[in-house]
Amino acid sequence: MAINTRKLIPFLVGYFLVCLLAVGALGWYWLDYQQAPVQPIDFSHQIHANKLGLECVFCHTTAAVSARASVPPLQRCMECHESAATDRPEIVKLTGYWKARQPIEWVKVHDLPWHAHFTHKRHIVAGVDCTVCHGQVKGEHRVRRVRSLMMGWCVDCHRSKQVSIDCWVCHH
Amino acid sequence: MERRDFLKVLGIASGGVAASGSFSFGQNKLVSRVLPPPEGHVPGEPVHVHSVCTECPAGCGLTVTVRDGLPIKLEGNPHHAVGGGALCVRGQASLVRVYHPERVRRPLYREPGGELEPIGWDEAMGRVRTELAAAAGAGRTNAFWSGRSTGSLARLIGETCAALGLERLPEFEIYHHGALRGAYDRLFGRRTVPVYHVDRADALLTVGADILDTFLSPVEFARQIAPKLEAGWPWFHAEPALSLTGARAAHRLAVVPGSERFLLAWLLRAVPARQPLPVDLLAAIPSVTREDAARKTGVPAADLDALARALAAARQPLVIAGGVSVAHGDGQAVALLAGLLQWSLGAIPALVDFSADHTFDAVGTLADARQVVERLKAKRVGVLVLSRLHGLELLDGAVEALSNAAFSVGLTDFLSSAFAGCRLILPVSHALESWGDAEPQRGRLGLVRPVFRPLHDTRSEGDILLQLAGKTNSFKEYLFAAWRPYPAVWWKQGYVERPVRAEAVKLADGAAGALATLGQAPELPAPVLVVKPSLRTFDGRSRVIPLLHEIPDPLSTVTYGPWVNVPPGLARSMGLADGDELRLGGAALPVRVLPGLPDGVLLTAVDAAAGLGLKSDPATGELLACHGGIATVKTGRRIPLPFLSGGLNAAGRGILPGDEGHHHHHEKHSLYEPYEYVDYRWAMAVDLDRCIGCSACVAACYMENNIPVAGPEEHLRGREMSWLRVQPYVRDGEAPVFIPVMCQHCDAAPCETVCPVYATYHNEEGLNVQVYNRCVGTRYCNNNCPYKARRFNWFEYDAPAPLDRLKNPEVSVRPKGVMEKCTFCIQRITHAKDRAKDDGRRKVRDGEIVPACAQTCPASAITFGNILDENSRVYQLAHSGRAYRLLEMLGTEPAVYYLSKKVK
Amino acid sequence: MSLGTYFDQLEHDVLAAMRKPSKLYWIALVVSAAAFALGLGCWGWQIYEGLGVAGIRSPVGWGVYITDFVFWVGIAHSGTLISAVLFLFRAKFRCSFNRSAEAMTVIAVMTAGLFPLIHLGRCWFFYWLMPYPNQRHLWVNFRSPLIWDVFAVSTYFTISAVFFFVGLIPDLAIARRRFTGWRHWVFRILSLGWQGTAEQWKHYAWLYMFLAAFATPLVISVHSVVSWDFAMSVIPGWHTTIFAPYFVAGAIFSGTAMVITLVVPMRRILGLDNYITVDHFEAIAKILLFTSLIVSYSYIVEFVLAWYSGNPFEIAHFSFRAVGDYRYLYWLMLFCNGLLPLTLFVKRLRRNLKYLFVLSLFVNVGMWLERFVIIVSSLARDFDPYNWGNYAPRFVEIGVTIGSFGMFFMLFLIFTKMLPVLAIAEVKEHAS
Repeated sequence: MAINTRKLIPFLVGYFLVCLLAVGALGWYWLDYQQAPVQPIDFSHQIHANKLGLECVFCHTTAAVSARASVPPLQRCMECHESAATDRPEIVKLTGYWKARQPIEWVKVHDLPWHAHFTHKRHIVAGVDCTVCHGQVKGEHRVRRVRSLMMGWCVDCHRSKQVSIDCWVCHH
Repeated sequence: MERRDFLKVLGIASGGVAASGSFSFGQNKLVSRVLPPPEGHVPGEPVHVHSVCTECPAGCGLTVTVRDGLPIKLEGNPHHAVGGGALCVRGQASLVRVYHPERVRRPLYREPGGELEPIGWDEAMGRVRTELAAAAGAGRTNAFWSGRSTGSLARLIGETCAALGLERLPEFEIYHHGALRGAYDRLFGRRTVPVYHVDRADALLTVGADILDTFLSPVEFARQIAPKLEAGWPWFHAEPALSLTGARAAHRLAVVPGSERFLLAWLLRAVPARQPLPVDLLAAIPSVTREDAARKTGVPAADLDALARALAAARQPLVIAGGVSVAHGDGQAVALLAGLLQWSLGAIPALVDFSADHTFDAVGTLADARQVVERLKAKRVGVLVLSRLHGLELLDGAVEALSNAAFSVGLTDFLSSAFAGCRLILPVSHALESWGDAEPQRGRLGLVRPVFRPLHDTRSEGDILLQLAGKTNSFKEYLFAAWRPYPAVWWKQGYVERPVRAEAVKLADGAAGALATLGQAPELPAPVLVVKPSLRTFDGRSRVIPLLHEIPDPLSTVTYGPWVNVPPGLARSMGLADGDELRLGGAALPVRVLPGLPDGVLLTAVDAAAGLGLKSDPATGELLACHGGIATVKTGRRIPLPFLSGGLNAAGRGILPGDEGHHHHHEKHSLYEPYEYVDYRWAMAVDLDRCIGCSACVAACYMENNIPVAGPEEHLRGREMSWLRVQPYVRDGEAPVFIPVMCQHCDAAPCETVCPVYATYHNEEGLNVQVYNRCVGTRYCNNNCPYKARRFNWFEYDAPAPLDRLKNPEVSVRPKGVMEKCTFCIQRITHAKDRAKDDGRRKVRDGEIVPACAQTCPASAITFGNILDENSRVYQLAHSGRAYRLLEMLGTEPAVYYLSKKVK
Repeated sequence: MSLGTYFDQLEHDVLAAMRKPSKLYWIALVVSAAAFALGLGCWGWQIYEGLGVAGIRSPVGWGVYITDFVFWVGIAHSGTLISAVLFLFRAKFRCSFNRSAEAMTVIAVMTAGLFPLIHLGRCWFFYWLMPYPNQRHLWVNFRSPLIWDVFAVSTYFTISAVFFFVGLIPDLAIARRRFTGWRHWVFRILSLGWQGTAEQWKHYAWLYMFLAAFATPLVISVHSVVSWDFAMSVIPGWHTTIFAPYFVAGAIFSGTAMVITLVVPMRRILGLDNYITVDHFEAIAKILLFTSLIVSYSYIVEFVLAWYSGNPFEIAHFSFRAVGDYRYLYWLMLFCNGLLPLTLFVKRLRRNLKYLFVLSLFVNVGMWLERFVIIVSSLARDFDPYNWGNYAPRFVEIGVTIGSFGMFFMLFLIFTKMLPVLAIAEVKEHAS
């Protein structure tokens, strides 16, 4: 039976269009997923961590002692910004929060689902560098997620470091 | 920590933590606090603060686990002599009270006949002052009426009442121990409830005093008695009905209700006296022969002999009467005779300690309360300030009489019966939100301090009183002034003992006269209805806590009541089955047949008895607990009654200790290789000789593991959510046996092989792990679990705000459609390993991991540890010869060992 | 009548059944579609609210859903038996039933396959039951009988569907010839260019024989695996070695009954009395009788095993089954499955279609009850008395069960109008 080219061409065109759409949708999803969210204050890690050379734990003080790295309280920001760069618009915003005694609600960039229990302390104490999971935050103006933080990614690292991959280590 | 530092910390803790927000859990926001957390608080790490449990008059010490500014778990304070680290079921559940959605959140005021409307604090205070002045002008008495108060608050109440011209009415408690106090007053001139040192006794007779259920300080009693239970000791418990105490006593004497005087009177003569009684007193004791005693009490003479022999042979015998046995028409006689027996046996003052007594000084009896009601009815009361009044609805006409006050002010956290009609409601902060102290037993002081800022616009009772009196200082300052002489240990351990003056106890001159006034013992014709304080809600005050309804009553396994327990004989003769409605006087209650309950006795809890029209005993002021000749009518209707036990008879099934079902019929073979553990194999030992069935472990498990409350409808469908349950079993003629059953973490777990997705698997430390997020919900695992230890999330169980904030962030909240079960508190294992790593240790120490159930057990019946370690306690217990495992013949190789003397 | 006229008449009669449907047909279709919609609605509500809207509980974690699953898998069985096994045994009477039986098989497996999904707590993760590579490095548990089920049922569905389709090809070619319009085009595509040449027939015969041989062991394996869901567990009443043959016999029994239930009215409505004769029904009735005897024997063996084992749990359980809370269902089941089919020893009854139809309904009910009794009563009374508890289905479960019947009959009705309900080519073959 001869192949009917007249019908084949529109079919192929349609087929590839659908493929293209699917790939595009996936790409769009991934780009969006990795976007740096807009934060209430346009805080720059680049300036603080890179230019000023502050250590991560200078602000995220409990990373080595608690499950959570914690975000700094406003008081910590104001220790410097009472006098430093007070005229910048973002600092004015910060001072506004401080004066109103209003906590800042940052958008969580590295968010884990309900069923995953992660502890910063054990990883930092074991010598895992912050950048392994958070990427080069120092180099970024706005923080975005550079690792998938998906289970397979965690397990790969645990395997390579020969630490437990028992489910309950994270899921309990 | 220095005291000054501590104050600083607490100042911030109570002021700034909650306001400045905390890290949200499971949400995609990250909140920057305004101020850094108080020193010692690390975000994400728990902080432990000592306090005192206020859920019942016992006043056990608390250690509150606070995480990110919110209290999430209560445990006993190990430094506190009352409780000593343990908590009961009510104590564990009492945290729910703080977060309860129905708490009064702001001051409320109503015009006469109007609805309650929110009002500001200043305006509310102003109104009270105006009304006080107005009533005083009108010639009415202003009064303050509260429940039992101890410590500095009691002193402040006295001062405030004096300053404001309020009459301080006798404090109201349903269980005020009036009969005991009256008896001790007439015998020894001490109108008080002494502390009974059960731990020092080597033989014990308890008459009606259900010391393991609700009597005085049950957690303390359980802690003292548990080692003796394990060792075995002559403990006789005489009771008309059935209680946990009776189930656990070595010998339970089921006495005819109201006949206790014959038992005691006979004992007074039959047991040789160690402190001789004066001749006139001896003569006044009713003379009862052995046969009389046996006939009247219904206890076989042989048992009476055994009792007398045990008391005579003991070095330090102790007798405690109380509870239902002093709360009937003959209660005064029982209390008096018991006091004399204590004297005669030489238990006073070594075991019956009048110097360190229970502080019931200002507590009145129901006769006093009755007088208050009469005064109210005569409209002689102006402003009536009410606080902590529980169970007032049990006193006929009392709640209605409150409306006769010119103006009633309620200091309360819930609009319960006594407060519902108040003109002004001043919401009171919970103890965890306020400063205070407590002295449940003289000289034993517990510190109460706020662990977080009040959730709502509430104030502590102390602050309200100070403000009413126009003082400018806060209650905190008031307390600090009072605490100035206290040592540093007060701050560190939240507990201090103040020396109390020991005074010699002498028989009062009029003691014989007191006996002479006793009349004949009144007869209580069958059937007798026995009304007892509830293990779960005490006098009804804990009724607001849903969790306490969710946890079954250990004897009947009924969850959501009310109900009446009926003995099997009566049920047979009346044709009653579980759930049949029975009319008792003015109330109609569903029936639960309770084996072990003596025939002719019906048993119900006082929180179910509001409609029964209970009377009080004019002689003692006690709420009558035994009601003879009660009319019972089977109505033919059925009331859905949720109870969790599918059957009480497990004979021959390999569940009960010493059961013949344990013997293996054939050799066991497995297709799978046995597990080889390296460092740990976690295991648990549950001592059934110690377990008293109190269900504190169940409540602790609920609180620790975010277990949802499913509600009565779900229980009726057979869907409880508890990971741990106390299963009662009855063998003919024996007291109930309680077996706490949780996931057995089997080595050859039937659940593991059948899960299609590996949501449940065996880990390298022997735990049977359930991974919630992998579970698809086939329920095959629970089908195949011989212990049915698994729980399925039939729905999404959401708690209403702010109860949803009461969550342990260490434990995932399970969504609908997944299976869950006991994890051996895996989060605590993780924490212990974490600590070990921090300390540079390779392994966790024995006893370092304490699951929530084991932690709170007043009887220390649960031991957890690594069974690979031959020096661990759990290893030794599992190899002690007392150990057996449930359904061992199935070859599941459980990791939970049950210990019992009955194992041969 | 010459063979040619007979063939023409046959083609005409069979294909006439596919023409414009009668009013009765429409009513039947609407009723079954409505039932199906009810089932879908109930399932949707259950997904939204959680499984709690059903009556299942602890200890009875499996109730009507798994009963339905086993029931429908059982129904599926006789299709393969009649088509494949009887084909291999050269049983001529099979050609009157095989098409309907095969269609029934495919549809019943489709219906059955939904139930494992419906009963899942989180059915949106059903694909976790398949082994597939994923970023989490997670695999399924091959020790679990439920995974065996996934393979058994999906294999069975695939083979039944292929076998059904292959058997249809020559008839589709006939239909292609006799229809015009869009149907012509559909049949043209579906008949895969069938010309009926000797070469094609040769290949076809081989293929059909091969598929029949391939499908035959599945008759045994599928229901054996389904029975292992129970037999591999520790529950008294489930944990027994006789389950596999017991379930297979039960499956054939119930499937045969369902064939009778379907074909008796179909024959009347579609006017196929000449081709599906009483002789054929009598042969089917004999299978029914034979499998009924096996099933009854199993019922006896179960009790004897429990007694002989001396195992207190088994003994307690089986006495519960006979005299406990579910005794009425048990005795009704015995009546339907054990006693009533014994009447088929009477030849007159075997040849009475009305009687056979009514009997088949009883057997359907009885076999559904058998699964219910095995699943529910065993779970309701296991080891620890504290955990005992009874189960009763609630509205959602009943709705979904009605929906499954709706789905089954709806699809079968559609089949009767869309595809030739008799294997024309085979009837021709036998006629010549």
